[in-house]
Amino acid sequence: MMNTIIAVAIMLCLLLAGGASASDHDETLPYYRMGAVNVPILEGWANQSSADFAQFELTEAQATIRTAFVSANNGIDAAQAELGEMLGMDIDGPVYSDKVNLADGTWNVLAFDIDEATTASSMARRSEAGFIVINFVERNPAARTVLVAITQADESRDVADPEIARMTEALAGVGLTQFSGVEVIDLASGTWRVFRHPELTAMGTVFGNESYVALQEGQPGDLATLADAYNRTLLGFFVTPDNSHYLALGLAVVFLILGTLVFSFSWRSRGIQRDLALIQQLAQSED
Amino acid sequence: MAKEVAFEAAPQPRLLRVLTALTALGFLATLYLGLVVAGTDIEQGDIQRIFYIHMPSFFGAFTAFGATVVGGLLYLARKNDAWDRIALAGAEVGLAFALINLLTGAIWARPIWNTWWTWDPRLTSAAVMCLIYAAYLMLRAGIDDMSRKRNFMSVYGIFAFVSVLTTLFIIRIVPETIHPVIVGASPQNAQGSFEATSGVVTALAPSMLLWLTLMPITLMWHRYRLETRREALDQKMIQALGD
Repeated sequence: MMNTIIAVAIMLCLLLAGGASASDHDETLPYYRMGAVNVPILEGWANQSSADFAQFELTEAQATIRTAFVSANNGIDAAQAELGEMLGMDIDGPVYSDKVNLADGTWNVLAFDIDEATTASSMARRSEAGFIVINFVERNPAARTVLVAITQADESRDVADPEIARMTEALAGVGLTQFSGVEVIDLASGTWRVFRHPELTAMGTVFGNESYVALQEGQPGDLATLADAYNRTLLGFFVTPDNSHYLALGLAVVFLILGTLVFSFSWRSRGIQRDLALIQQLAQSED
Repeated sequence: MAKEVAFEAAPQPRLLRVLTALTALGFLATLYLGLVVAGTDIEQGDIQRIFYIHMPSFFGAFTAFGATVVGGLLYLARKNDAWDRIALAGAEVGLAFALINLLTGAIWARPIWNTWWTWDPRLTSAAVMCLIYAAYLMLRAGIDDMSRKRNFMSVYGIFAFVSVLTTLFIIRIVPETIHPVIVGASPQNAQGSFEATSGVVTALAPSMLLWLTLMPITLMWHRYRLETRREALDQKMIQALGD
């Protein structure tokens, strides 16, 4: 009776097991899986992802964020190649280029001025299969947006003001003193400080030792949405590690221990049988 | 005068043969569930699948070491050798399961904690538990007087179970542990936790059922029969030498 119950329970579990496979492709997961790369799905953005890239578009802002694997010699080439793929054109070199060391590696930080309507910001880092590139493209002629990460010179600040000032002066020739005060807003990607100017909006946040700065020329007013989405992609994406060799080692250990136990039962049983045969033989020889 | 010393091994009971077949099939089925059917954990990767053996193997050891306690108590109460053989079978099978638990945990920890071993309360108590039961088997082999051996090992087996309970509950008591908890909230410092999603539970439940019941019972039964035959051999040898 007990055996029947156990057998039925196992069969039921096997039948129910179809549900287990869902965890790999769960539609409710907040990530788009692209091979081993998991990219946060941006709510409110149109998901245009494919097997080759994760792409989200915000139509009203004419903005696109694409994450992809790119085979290239360096991060700049990788970002340029992927931008060219996105826009269907050759891309000139970046107007801004820097590097930052984040927890998952060294990233190239780039900004491109494509044409009068189009700007792009890119981050690229080396991975096993080439480069992981996160490109932000805005095709809004009313706005020109730049999103960059900058390593803080000192590592103790929780505001990005010096980096914001550095970027506004470098890219727009406007100092922070020319902005009308500061506003603090809480977004999903963190707390941002926003500086407004008649023709320029600048905002920045800090994560670890890096300042994340967003600039927007013109006044479309969607900088917070774009900066938040880009940062959530950058800070939220992760690569599922390939550690199947450790799993193989673990299974080998399980089979070794269980195999040794079962083999020892068999070995000792045969030993007992041999000893018994010997005793029997001795007893018969005494007869 | 020579006496008849022929000894025929008792045939395997039909129930044991059925249990052995069920255990083997169940083991393969749970491996299939954990390795093929269950989805890959997107944060931990494939190594998370070792959990479908790691945790059940501890509960298999719990069952086996529990049998050592029951066997010890009933031997002390009734002085029936069969209970002592059950206690021995439980200790030996339980130690094998505990070693599987300990080693698969260390292998999981390497990619997740970036170390094979750390002196965390849970890991330390699990290692001490293994040593205590290894000592059980060594001590048992070192005592010649059968009656004294059975009495002493019964008491030892009962008290050794404290190490099993300590290992089981220590992460609920000591907040400094980094060992994750799957059922209930993990300690604040836990590293490598993952959610018990329906997929995880579906792959884990059959494995728990197998390791908690079929595997220890089947293996202990085989070990019990082996010990019965070994003791019979000893008796025959004494009998033959006496003649």
